[in-house]
Amino acid sequence: MSVTGDWNEAANELNAIVASFDEGEVSVDDLFNKLERATAIIESLEARLETTKARVEELAPRIARVADDE
Amino acid sequence: MDSVEPLRAEPILEVGEFYELLTAQLESAYGRRHPCWVRGEVAKVYEKTHLYVDLVDAGSSASDSKRPVLNAHCWASQWNPLKRKLASDGVSLQPGMIVNFFGYVDVYAPQGRIGFTVTEIDVAGLLGDVARRRLELIARLTSEGLLDKNKRLALSPVPLRVGLVASPQTEGYSDFTGQLLNSGFGFEVLLVRTAVQGEAAPAQIVAAISTLDGHGVDIICLVRGGGSKGDLASFDDERVARAIALSSTPVFTGIGHTGDESIADLVAHTRAITPTKLGEEIASLVSNWYANNVRSPALKLLSATEALLDEADEYVAERRRTMIFAVRDRLRAEQRHLESTHQRLLIQSRHLLASATQSLASTRRLLGAYDPKRRLAQGWSIVTNADGAVVRSLDQVRVSEDVRVTLSDGTFVSTVKEKDGVT
Repeated sequence: MSVTGDWNEAANELNAIVASFDEGEVSVDDLFNKLERATAIIESLEARLETTKARVEELAPRIARVADDE
Repeated sequence: MDSVEPLRAEPILEVGEFYELLTAQLESAYGRRHPCWVRGEVAKVYEKTHLYVDLVDAGSSASDSKRPVLNAHCWASQWNPLKRKLASDGVSLQPGMIVNFFGYVDVYAPQGRIGFTVTEIDVAGLLGDVARRRLELIARLTSEGLLDKNKRLALSPVPLRVGLVASPQTEGYSDFTGQLLNSGFGFEVLLVRTAVQGEAAPAQIVAAISTLDGHGVDIICLVRGGGSKGDLASFDDERVARAIALSSTPVFTGIGHTGDESIADLVAHTRAITPTKLGEEIASLVSNWYANNVRSPALKLLSATEALLDEADEYVAERRRTMIFAVRDRLRAEQRHLESTHQRLLIQSRHLLASATQSLASTRRLLGAYDPKRRLAQGWSIVTNADGAVVRSLDQVRVSEDVRVTLSDGTFVSTVKEKDGVT
């Protein structure tokens, strides 16, 4: 189940799924599909986050060198 | 031939005799043993081993053909120590200066000239004159709007391209460039070598400023280490002052040492008290810009990135928890609903079962009432024909036909004798 779109689009879709649970709109038939979709979105967001963190980890020392340069 | 009698009694002098007489007369009044002070304005000055000065009355006009001129000279033996003394006080003889010469008359017969041999120069007077001329120059520059002209130029926020007017292999040069090198920033220094003292220096400095002004440098730095007033005199030169003022590039000065303030310093965009200090100040300009525009944003960027990632981390974790709880809650609710329904169904089933049991018992009781055995026990009997069918009517039997009669305790066969219907 692919998750396309940027972070905000994915987060909005996830928020909508959570909201539908909060509002009791999810039938048992839909529950699995929604949970599966929410899981896919969460995993996608986590993967993106990890990728971003890894990139930041690469760049952070370079920025830190600039920041610490006296 | 008659001899010619002289017309007068005075002797006729040969030219040489005339000059000898004249020299004797003059020297008796203004000679080496009777020196005097002569005050005048320098009209021309020329130095070639010895010093030669044409002195005129102060304020007299050069166009005045009758203007008296005194050809003064100072022999090298006396001029050299005088020159050093003047130089140490930052004075060099220039046309227009008012000077007091001490000396004696000097007649030079071969050229028919009366000159003046200088043995002393009134330095104090000259210094006063220099100070006056300096004030006059400042006043002129001020009235022409040149004193602040260079100061009004916008300064590059990052003056990394530095035009340098200096003399390499001097302390001032190495002090200044050392500061730039040690700063760690990538200064690009474009050097124009010049003399920084002596008569040739002002013209070279002016040319260097002009050259650098056309090279798109961020600032032009005029650098000269400490020295006597004479050593630093070039930086009081009007030509240098005007070149600085009219430069379209901000000119920074680091001239001499603490306490020295030249005209160049006054007209410069920024002045530092020494070449070292100037290097420090320029490095500091870049350093401050770097801190405000690079280091500080970098720190903020690091902090903001960390905060954003933490926020995203927290968001995903929170959504994950929320999702897990939402699904669990939903499933539990559904399970509770099913359990509730099951319980209701169970209770209803039990009710139905009890009701059915009751109904069945009632029916069973009702059926018991109709049990044929019960009737047979009461004395009733059941007659069946040969076919086994219950005989309910006379029409179902014939006379002489055998019928089976069932009683409560058994059966017997009987023969129909007659039929007697009920009327």
